[in-house]
Amino acid sequence: MNPKNHPGINLSDAVSKMAAHMREMTLRIRGSRGHQGSGTLWPRAGLIITNAHVADASVHDVEFSDGQKAEGWLVARDPERDLAALAVSVHPAISASVRSARGLRAGELVLASGNPADGNCAITTGIVHRPVGNSSWLLADIRLAPGNSGGPLADATGAIVGINSMIIGYLGCAVTSDAVDDFLRTFHLAEAA
Amino acid sequence: MSTSLIEFSRELANTVERAGKSTIAVLEGGRSGVSGTVWREGIAVTIAHTIHSLEEVNVVLPSGTEVKAAVTARDPGTDIAILKLPSEAPVATLADDAEARAGEVVLSVGRRGNEGLAAAYGIISAVSGAWRTHSGAKVDRWLRLDLNPFPGFSGGPIVNAAGEVLGVAVSGRGRSAAVLPSSTVSRVVDQLLKHGRTVRGYIGVGLQPVVFSEDASQSLGIGGRGLLITAIAPGSAASEAGLTLGDVIVAADGDPIRSGAGLQWLLDTETVGKSITLGVIRGGRLVNIAVIVREKSA
Repeated sequence: MNPKNHPGINLSDAVSKMAAHMREMTLRIRGSRGHQGSGTLWPRAGLIITNAHVADASVHDVEFSDGQKAEGWLVARDPERDLAALAVSVHPAISASVRSARGLRAGELVLASGNPADGNCAITTGIVHRPVGNSSWLLADIRLAPGNSGGPLADATGAIVGINSMIIGYLGCAVTSDAVDDFLRTFHLAEAA
Repeated sequence: MSTSLIEFSRELANTVERAGKSTIAVLEGGRSGVSGTVWREGIAVTIAHTIHSLEEVNVVLPSGTEVKAAVTARDPGTDIAILKLPSEAPVATLADDAEARAGEVVLSVGRRGNEGLAAAYGIISAVSGAWRTHSGAKVDRWLRLDLNPFPGFSGGPIVNAAGEVLGVAVSGRGRSAAVLPSSTVSRVVDQLLKHGRTVRGYIGVGLQPVVFSEDASQSLGIGGRGLLITAIAPGSAASEAGLTLGDVIVAADGDPIRSGAGLQWLLDTETVGKSITLGVIRGGRLVNIAVIVREKSA
């Protein structure tokens, strides 16, 4: 079968490729109480971005998708925005980019990658539930699990639009990429490293 | 990056945007507002129970303008209410829901007050035949959805991949999303616009369910259950057909009748003005009596 001739197969092939792309930027983080969460290699800052509720200690064991392990040192934490930044000695080069969540339209495809209890670097797909407006939260009709916290939410091009953070009813809720940039600026971490 | 994924994403967002042009927000509906769908020129449909007893509601049109809309009619059977819009909004493009297939991609679109459009993605997980609502109204088709409901989605359109409206979103059992198919909504809207209500059949009898002994049902060649006539409205269809107190209805048009709901199922819009043949036990014998169904007055 030639995938190029089958639109459906073409699409699932595309999602598999995107899963591989997102895996590169997704890390596993172990919290102080043994709980598992995710982290996102943030392209512009050379840091790991995760949720404040995942990074609740000064040092965390982090594991890259290729199995490489490192220590992640807490450099900034903002519980109100549910964001934290970790510095790592190793920082693999990735090709990810960041897109402002403000331009997202309701219905646009989004993909989440993370580490729920039953799957390493699991990928889920969904759509933008509604436009972000001026909010720092992005609602998506996507299935998230607790271990998704801190992992990336990306658009159809693979650009990061948010950090998965909460589940509200059936909806997934992510901190917008814009709020992450604000957070990095607040702590003077933008364009660091 | 893969162009097929980007294309798919754009198509989804375009479909939401297109459906959103006929989706309004009904601010008083439910806890935090519901949605409505522009069904005809100047007419929108929404969910009746969420705007219970209100004669006027505030709506946000697709243009973003907030206006007052009169609640002109309600159908308790399907829980549909129609709203008269004071200004123009694009009418939804309807799909032929008879063509709906399991596996089709669908989107649920709602409008959240002044915050704009909201959407959920899913597929049709099963399609089956006609069903009845709790209040006895006939719905032409059961479209089971694999789609997560969201606050305020009720009353908004469920659209297919072509952006055509398959039906109106309603809450199903156990926090699920269900859909009233467009064919049913159109039928109800037509009747509400014409009569201000929906037409139901009526023969004018009071009924009491009864159970026959095994011997009796065997010797009469009928099922074990029937409906004893305990009242007959004067001048009604039943009275003119010669039904009398004490008759027990056991069949209609050859099919056994086991409950009042079973008889109600037959007395639909389509049967008004037509004749149905009731199988009746009278004086220990099974007799057939033809009754011409009339319209039930409000």
